[in-house]
Amino acid sequence: MMLIAGTVPIKDMPLTLDKVTSEGDYLVVGGRKIPCTQGTGAMVSAALATTSYLGLEAPQVLLVGDIGKGDGSRKLYQYLIDQVKELSPAVLALHYWLPDMAQTRQLCAAVETCARRPIMVADAASMYSAKAAGLAEKFDIFTPDATEIAFLADPEATHPAYINRHLFETDISRAPELAKAAYSNHGAARLLLVKGAVDYIIKEGEVLATITEPDVPALEPIGGTGDTITGLVSAFAFAGLELHEAAIIAARTNRMAGKYARVTPASKVREVVAQFPAVFKDYLCQWSNVCCTEGGKSDD
Amino acid sequence: MAILRRNQKAKFEGGGLVLFQEVSQAIAGEKILKAAGYLVRLVAPPPELRKGCDLAVEINLIEQPGIERLLKEKDMAYVSIEPIRVKTAPLLEVVKVTDFGRWVMVKAGNMKITYEKDSGVIVNVSGGGCPDIPYLHAELVDKRLDQAPRPKDLGFTLCALNLERALDECLALHSGGSKT
Repeated sequence: MMLIAGTVPIKDMPLTLDKVTSEGDYLVVGGRKIPCTQGTGAMVSAALATTSYLGLEAPQVLLVGDIGKGDGSRKLYQYLIDQVKELSPAVLALHYWLPDMAQTRQLCAAVETCARRPIMVADAASMYSAKAAGLAEKFDIFTPDATEIAFLADPEATHPAYINRHLFETDISRAPELAKAAYSNHGAARLLLVKGAVDYIIKEGEVLATITEPDVPALEPIGGTGDTITGLVSAFAFAGLELHEAAIIAARTNRMAGKYARVTPASKVREVVAQFPAVFKDYLCQWSNVCCTEGGKSDD
Repeated sequence: MAILRRNQKAKFEGGGLVLFQEVSQAIAGEKILKAAGYLVRLVAPPPELRKGCDLAVEINLIEQPGIERLLKEKDMAYVSIEPIRVKTAPLLEVVKVTDFGRWVMVKAGNMKITYEKDSGVIVNVSGGGCPDIPYLHAELVDKRLDQAPRPKDLGFTLCALNLERALDECLALHSGGSKT
């Protein structure tokens, strides 16, 4: 099972564990419609598009309403701490929540009790709290952007708002250097997918791959296009790809979907997600040797 | 599908301190924050951070903007809010502007706002990772810069604070100037 946990900006949504489905532009979880917009909604939408295409079990999601007060976030993490051993997911992808170092520490301890350790993915504030708590190395994949890799490289920062100015750099070309600093400070997961004008796949400080094509600068302003990469890499890891392969294909897919959608800075992330099946159909076999038609049926 | 209820039991581990001039203020401040649902505790500040009394309130630093707003609303005086780790850099105030022709993207720290030049309508909000950001995204997108709600009024986290800075810069740019 792939389990995705995060908050959604719906004030009264209770903590809900459910297998996600889709209905038009919306996700359906616990009978509620959740829009495919920036945040966990975009991340889950990308993961669901991928598992649907590959014919895999849809993601199980643990979602809760939280508009920033942290009330939902705390319930979500406490539930995971209590139940992760029983849930025993193959992939555990953590996303938006109010960063809490103590709960992250408890969750990582609980994960150690699982019969089979899940592949641990973190993005957004789940990544912030993992790094701030000194637990980054417990994670398999982080998906930072240019600012967030500077945050991971700063040993003192507990949030990207407090990065040492000399590390802060919006130019993605410094990513390899900052990643090395992050690894030496124990601030990085085993694999980093650094998202930007150039996407870097970095393992233990070594750049394994860079992805630059197609070049779609308009993806950066679109809220949620980083979240979709996290959803894609989580789903491909769940499909059994090596983690660096999953990361490479995720980055390529997102770019190509942006090109297919002919995005502008005013586009919405759902327009990008809508193109994933077409990108998979055209390129997945070539990129991964995973050759199937939509729904997971073999191509041959 | 299951609707789940769990009691919050986690221990508290903050990262920020609210510093006060007097012990009585620190105690009153803690009471206000606890009553509003924040996880906080009274602590002795490290010597290098002492600006007032020897009692401070430890907070989750990420929640700084919401806590500042609440203390202000309650007319609760305090000296400052500081990260506990003394080597932590000051709040980042770097702003970068990218021209996309018809649109402009303004990045403040880890947050970005993109608006259409002619209309001044916000077309996208991106970046960040705290739970108020998807909420602010929904509240800001498709609104004119001068009619959009302020992230500092609706948000609770440091991501919202950066978004506020981005909006400030957007407003300055759109009115023909720039704060940077």
